[in-house]
Amino acid sequence: MLHIEQNNLLLQNTLTERLYPSDPSANPKSLDRIVSDFDFTTFHVSTLSDRNLILISVYLRCWDDLVNYGVVNYLSNKYANFPSLTVLTGGEIEQGYNFSIVLDVKAAIEESEESKQELIEQLSLLKRHSMAAPFEQAFARYDELSKQYANSNTYSEEVQQELLNEPILVIKYRGIDESIYLKPSFDRVTVIFSTVFQDETDKIFGKVFLQEFMDARKRAVQTAPQVIYTHGSPPLDIQQVVHGGDNDNKGYVTFVLFPRHLVKGDKRDNCISHIELFRSYFHYHIKCAKAYMHSRMRFRVKEFLKILNRAKPENVVEKKTASGRRFDRS
Amino acid sequence: MSSIGTPAVVMDNGTGYTKLGFAGNDAPSFVFPTAISTSTASSKTSKGGPRSTNLASKRGLEDLDFYIGDEALEAANGPNYSLSYPIKHGQIEDWDQMERFWESSIFKYLRCEPEDHYFLLTEPPLNPPENRESTAEIMFESFNCAGLYIAVQAVLALAASWTSPKVQDRSLSGTVIDSGDGVTHVIPVAEGYVIGTAIKNIPLAGRDISSFIQQLLRDRGEADTSLQTAEKIKEQFCYVCPDIVQEFSKFDHYPKEKFAQYIVEYTDRNKKNIVDVGYERFLAPEIFFNPEICSSDFLTPLPTVVDQVIQASPIDVRKKLYKNIVLSGGSTMFKDFGKRLQRDLKVLVNERIHLSERSSGAQSTGVEVQVISHKKQRNAVWFGGSLLAQTAEFKSYCYTKRDYDEQGPNIVRNFSLFAVP
Repeated sequence: MLHIEQNNLLLQNTLTERLYPSDPSANPKSLDRIVSDFDFTTFHVSTLSDRNLILISVYLRCWDDLVNYGVVNYLSNKYANFPSLTVLTGGEIEQGYNFSIVLDVKAAIEESEESKQELIEQLSLLKRHSMAAPFEQAFARYDELSKQYANSNTYSEEVQQELLNEPILVIKYRGIDESIYLKPSFDRVTVIFSTVFQDETDKIFGKVFLQEFMDARKRAVQTAPQVIYTHGSPPLDIQQVVHGGDNDNKGYVTFVLFPRHLVKGDKRDNCISHIELFRSYFHYHIKCAKAYMHSRMRFRVKEFLKILNRAKPENVVEKKTASGRRFDRS
Repeated sequence: MSSIGTPAVVMDNGTGYTKLGFAGNDAPSFVFPTAISTSTASSKTSKGGPRSTNLASKRGLEDLDFYIGDEALEAANGPNYSLSYPIKHGQIEDWDQMERFWESSIFKYLRCEPEDHYFLLTEPPLNPPENRESTAEIMFESFNCAGLYIAVQAVLALAASWTSPKVQDRSLSGTVIDSGDGVTHVIPVAEGYVIGTAIKNIPLAGRDISSFIQQLLRDRGEADTSLQTAEKIKEQFCYVCPDIVQEFSKFDHYPKEKFAQYIVEYTDRNKKNIVDVGYERFLAPEIFFNPEICSSDFLTPLPTVVDQVIQASPIDVRKKLYKNIVLSGGSTMFKDFGKRLQRDLKVLVNERIHLSERSSGAQSTGVEVQVISHKKQRNAVWFGGSLLAQTAEFKSYCYTKRDYDEQGPNIVRNFSLFAVP
C-alpha cells in the first residue's frame, strides 16, 4: 500500500451493507456507529426513528475556517445531484457535529446500480470534499487572476504589489501549529503546510523524506510541483498570517502548483485529493520506514546472536577429586 | 492534549480473527482473519521487466507490498504472495509481520493518525511480559501512539457480561469460558487478576465442531459436504439439547419439525444443492458435554473441566467463580449452551456438597452456580474493551508516550486495573 486511500473504507462498507442488504425483506436494524478519520475527523452514522433514514454527520476541527471558504455551499452542491440525500441546515444539524446529511435508504435502493455506486463513493469521500472547499476557492481565484493579468506586464511593480496583497487562505486543520496556507497567484497556487514533530526521531526521518521530495523534481519527475522545505521561520509569502514568530520545532513545506496541475476537471480534483492528504501520507511513510528499520534491526540482532552462540565454549567437564573437591587452576 | 475528543482505538488480535474498532461502538468495525500475505516475487520483478518504470520497483518498496485480512487470503491465491499468520496460540510469534499488520490496520482500515488516539490492545492470559514490552515498543516507537493500555482478554470478557441483566454487582471476578475457533480456555479471574495456575485448555472448539458435522454429512452421503457447508449448518441450525436420548426420540416422533434442509448456493446461480440436516443439529455442540462422540484423546466434559478449574483456585474466591461463569467467543453461541452448562455443573457441585455434608454432618449454606450468556458473546472481548475504553477514566489508566519515553518499555509490565464503577 503505497498510497493512502481517499475515501473512508468503513463509511463505504457501512453504506454498502445498507444499500445491498442480504435479505431485502427483513426490517433494517438500527445503527449507531462512530467512525474516525485523519486529522481529528469524526463521523457519526446512525439511524433515525424511521430505520430507513440514515443520518451521517461529520465533525472537523477546522470547520470554522472551512465555513469562511464556502464549505457549506460546496458540499450542498456536491450532494444536490442525489435525490435520496437531504442536506440538513441550521438547527437540524446533529449536536456536536458540523454537517449532517440524511440518506433515505428506501429511495436509494430503488436506484440504478451505477447511481448507487456513485452515491456510496461520494458519501465515503465526505471528508475529502469538506477539505476541498478552500482549495476549490483558491483555484477559482487563480482562474480569475490568470484571466485578469493575461495581457499585462506581470513584472511591473504595481502588479507585483497587488499580487503580494492577495489574501491568504488559512486552514488550521490540526490546531494552531499545523495549518495549511493557500496563496493563489496568476500563474501558480502556493500551498504551504506547517508541520510540528512531537518526536525527535520523527524529525530526522521527516527531514530525509522531505529532502527526497525536493530532489524528485530534479531527478525524474519533471512534472511534479516544486517542493521547498524551510525550517524555523515561515516563508515570506505567509509571514504576515503566521503568529508566534520563529519556532525551531516548526517546519514549512511549500508546494508550488503550476497551471499544469490546475487544469480543470479530473486533474484538478486529483490534485486536491492528493495534496489534502499530504500530512497523513507523510506521517504514514515515516511510520512505515520505522517499521522497516525495526525489521532490519531484528534481523541483525538474530544474526549477531547466531555468531555469539557459536562462540560459546563447549561444555568443559570439571574435574573433581574423589572427595568432591575441585582443582582450582589459577 | 491533542488526543482529547478522539475515540480510543480498540484492537483485539486473536489467533483466528482480528477485531478492530473504536470505543463507544457496540460492534467492531472490522473483523477479518489475522493473516498477512507478503510479496515473494517483487525482488525478482524489480530487475528489468515491464514494471521497471514504476517508482516502486526502483527504490525497493517490497516492505509496503503486502495485504492483510480477507485481501491477504485473496492475494495468496495468486502466485506472488505467501500467506502467514503472525499470531499462534494467541501469542504474537512474528513481530515483523505483526508490525506491518498493525500499520495497515491503523492507516488503511481505521484511518486514524495514531498520534491522536489512545489504544487498547488485548493479550491472552499468561502472556510473557517480554511480549508486552515488544508490543509497547512497536506501538510507541513506530507509531508514536498517544497512549496504550494492554488488557487481558478474559478480564474484558468479564466486563462485557455487565450488559447482561443477570449481573448485579459489577465485579471483575468470575470464570471465563472462551471458545473460539482453535481452542477453548477456561480461565478463573479474581478481582481482575487471572489465576494462572488454574487455567485449563480444552482442545475442542469451533473447528472441531465443523469437521464433526462434515464427517456426519459424509457418512450420510449428502450432496455437498464441504467445510463451508458444515460451518453454515453449525451457525444456522445447531442447538444444545437437555438430554440426547429424549432428543433422538423427539426426532423420531416429530420428524417434520425437527429435521431441516439447508440449501447450498453457489456463485453459479443455476446450480443448487439441498442438504438434509438431521441429528447433527444437537449432536455437534454435544461434543463439549460428551467429548467421546468425536475425539478419542480428550474425554473430560466441559462442566467437569470448569469444576476442576474452580476447585484448583484459592478457596476464598471459589464461590464468586461459581456464581459468575461468563461465556465468550463464537463457539459458545449455541442456543441453550449456558443453560445446559449451568445444569450439569450444578449437579456436580450439589453432589460434592451432599458428600461433604454426609461426612462432616454440618449443614452447608449451598453454592450458587450461574452461567451468564449475553447478546455480545461473539465479540465479547472486543466489546468489553470498547465499554472500558469509552469511560472517562480510561485515559488515566493508560501509559502515555511521555511515560514511555521517561521509563522505557518495562513500564508496561504492570497496568493498574480498572476501578469497578
